[in-house]
Amino acid sequence: MATSRSLRRTNPITLGLATILTIGFLFFIFSTPSDPSPSKKRTKGPDIAANILSPASLPFKKSGGDESERPPPVVRYRMNNVTTTSDPIGNRETILILTPLARFYQGYWDNLLQLSYPHELISLGFIIPKNWEGNTATSQLQERIKKTQSGPQKKRFASITILRQDTEIPLQSQSEAERHKMQNQKARRAAMSKARNSLLFTTIGPTTSWVLWLDSDVVESPPTLIQDLASHNKPVIVPNCYQRYYNNDKKAMDVRPYDYNSWVDSTIAQSLAEKMGDDDILLEGYPEMATYRSLMAYMFEENGDPTKEVQLDGVGGTALLVKADVHRDGAMFPAFAFYHLIETEGFAKMASRLGWTSFGLPNYLVSHHLIGKICSIQN
Amino acid sequence: MLPIHSFSSKGKMERYPYTNGHTGAYPMGGKSFSIHPNRFQPRSHTALRRRRGFLIRLAALASLGFLLLLLIFPSLRYTLLPAVSLGLFSGTPDLQLETVRYYDLSNVQGSARGWEREERILLCAPLRDAAPHLPMFFSHLRNLTYPHKLIDLAFLVGDSKDNTMDLLTELLEGLQDDPDPKQTFGEISIMEKDFGQKVDQDVESRHGFAAQAGRRKSMAQARNWLLSAALRPVHSWVYWRDVDVETAPFTILEDLMRHNKDVIVPNVWRPLPDWLGGEQPYDLNSWQESDTALELAKTLDEDAVIVEGYAEYATWRPHLAYLRDPYGDPDMEMDLDGVGGVSILAKARVFRTGVHFPAFSFERHAETEGFGKMAKRMKYSVVGLPHYTIWHLYEPSVDDIRHMEEMKAELEEERKKEQEEKERIEKIQDQFETSDGQWKADMAVIKEVQREEENAQKAKEDAQKAKAVREESETREAEKLPGKRRSNQPGAAAGPEDNDDGQDDASNELEKPGSG
Repeated sequence: MATSRSLRRTNPITLGLATILTIGFLFFIFSTPSDPSPSKKRTKGPDIAANILSPASLPFKKSGGDESERPPPVVRYRMNNVTTTSDPIGNRETILILTPLARFYQGYWDNLLQLSYPHELISLGFIIPKNWEGNTATSQLQERIKKTQSGPQKKRFASITILRQDTEIPLQSQSEAERHKMQNQKARRAAMSKARNSLLFTTIGPTTSWVLWLDSDVVESPPTLIQDLASHNKPVIVPNCYQRYYNNDKKAMDVRPYDYNSWVDSTIAQSLAEKMGDDDILLEGYPEMATYRSLMAYMFEENGDPTKEVQLDGVGGTALLVKADVHRDGAMFPAFAFYHLIETEGFAKMASRLGWTSFGLPNYLVSHHLIGKICSIQN
Repeated sequence: MLPIHSFSSKGKMERYPYTNGHTGAYPMGGKSFSIHPNRFQPRSHTALRRRRGFLIRLAALASLGFLLLLLIFPSLRYTLLPAVSLGLFSGTPDLQLETVRYYDLSNVQGSARGWEREERILLCAPLRDAAPHLPMFFSHLRNLTYPHKLIDLAFLVGDSKDNTMDLLTELLEGLQDDPDPKQTFGEISIMEKDFGQKVDQDVESRHGFAAQAGRRKSMAQARNWLLSAALRPVHSWVYWRDVDVETAPFTILEDLMRHNKDVIVPNVWRPLPDWLGGEQPYDLNSWQESDTALELAKTLDEDAVIVEGYAEYATWRPHLAYLRDPYGDPDMEMDLDGVGGVSILAKARVFRTGVHFPAFSFERHAETEGFGKMAKRMKYSVVGLPHYTIWHLYEPSVDDIRHMEEMKAELEEERKKEQEEKERIEKIQDQFETSDGQWKADMAVIKEVQREEENAQKAKEDAQKAKAVREESETREAEKLPGKRRSNQPGAAAGPEDNDDGQDDASNELEKPGSG
């Protein structure tokens, strides 16, 4: 083996020093990104789980062939240290974004990717019905996930869980007109509640600080959505959800209110409820059941202060930020008539029974996907 | 380099080293050297070396560029490195991370023969100041016959003042280090969360009526935190178990699972010391709803919580506990509305769809009773097994401890009393002796008198017949007097004391069953 002359001539000590330097240099480069993790671990508990059985909000190590032989270790979660504050990024608080998915919209995924909250603190959870439509949505979603999770590190999410629904789907058609028919509402929303709860209770982990409910048809939101909502530091907070549409009268794109489930209760609604049977529910947005509740959808003011807060008695689930503690205490989406309320509205009621108050931001807008046909939600 | 001055044989030049007369102008390692014009001459090394040098420089430049690229764009490291190093260099742990999980919930519905279908169970146990019970609980865990690999353990340790946390960690690590692969469990997680409960966990305050509502609500909160943090999409069943169960069948998981119900509870009794009757129903939270209770619920405030087993709320509900027949069929089922939390097996589906332990007043119930109510509300089946019994640990209550002390004191007193009785009897005997003597003396006197009288009568038999009537009445009087004295004397000595004792005993006899 003929080594180059220059190499032969240099002092072995110099060579040794150079090697050490190079190794040190390489080590320095490649160890920098993983350096801060140990210090974080001490305060936040385990950030990376040892096996697939770990909480769904944590990524896990791929198991090798011999991995199955070793029993999983004992993991200790210090839940006293899980914080929910108005400065979620500063405190490295993890957020779980949950979406019941019936149809996949590219706009939804793009909107999710443009969120400026650090993606390594975001876990995603999806629940998809087991039918033909759901299968399509699943494959579309998985394709996008694969792209994102193998793409640039900065855009990758901490973990993603996809669940296929086990509960029966009462309505085959998810078309908006059919969906909003009054008699279909209770069964539809009960099934929706079960889906939401299934998703929530299997994915919320011991390290989760916040839970953001985001409908699969939310296509437009400010990139700072999470930070903005969290900065209010409220147990339950909901922005105003609007739908963009083409206004034929104005001959221009316009917005109109979409989510009628965020409201302040009225005495009329309460007296209506008193006369009802135990299993009947009050619904919002139907003329045959006029509740005269003050809807947050109509509290929107042009050029109003986006940080204005309103205390609410019922909330909608289109975009809904909840402190994980509220869910952990037991506040869930009732699939039965709970004080004559169901799903997200019932959730607000249950949260209030547990001592948590809900708030709304009437001037902070989140946009809903526009369905081509004009639906019958406006009355 | 000056080889001329060197004296080593290797470096020394010789003028004519070769036999063919060539001067050794080139050091050829001592071998003979010849050039043949018709033989192939390899190209001199310099050109090759130059080319190689160029290649090396090129490679160095490329690797430097690569390093710079990695330095500038850190995100490239994760994609480029494993490709370049053929997977050998993947030092950063992130590279081996999997982030996507996919589950079909229809695979984890739970069936009657879960152990055959490899259905996972989540075993939940909320703990607080439970260190003394932990060794017993772990022996129960080891004995479970359900495949341990399919059981995930989850504990919530909160507001503990003793060493529960350390002991638990130690025991769990011991459990997982077991060399027998059949003994090790699935995922084990310990949640540490203090709720700042003010209620003490000792037996007395735990069961006091006034503390019940608040205590049940905070217990419910702890249970919900534990469940929400530990439930995964892989679980088919959830089993709640108190650590202070003393005796339970090893096959309890399979036994309960076999019924294939959404929520199922066994009967919970506890052993008692003999003086309390040997055994007693323990868990009164498993019951069927009654009309009385429903009416009662309507009259109560929205935040009120009906708790079972207290005189304040007479509900007249049929309790699972009281229906036990020790020789009954253990598979018999009974529909329930409220359940107790000592040992609940539920399908994970129940918890997934939102049924939980209300930490508020749900239809006037909280915690496990509210859980039963909510499960019923969501049309799940809730049953109890009246003749399948597990035994809760007997912890003597403050009352019991007092009673036991009383019993001890009583025993002592009885012994003392026995002693006294003995002494007293001896004393009485002594007294009786004296009175006996007196009586004999009296008798002697009487006999003397009688004899005298008889003698006198014999003497005056014929002489004084007129005075006979008077004489006879006199003798009758004399006979009556000693008789009176005889019956009075012992009674006067022991009478009052005896009476008091009798009363004491009677009142004690009455008290015993009452306080028991």
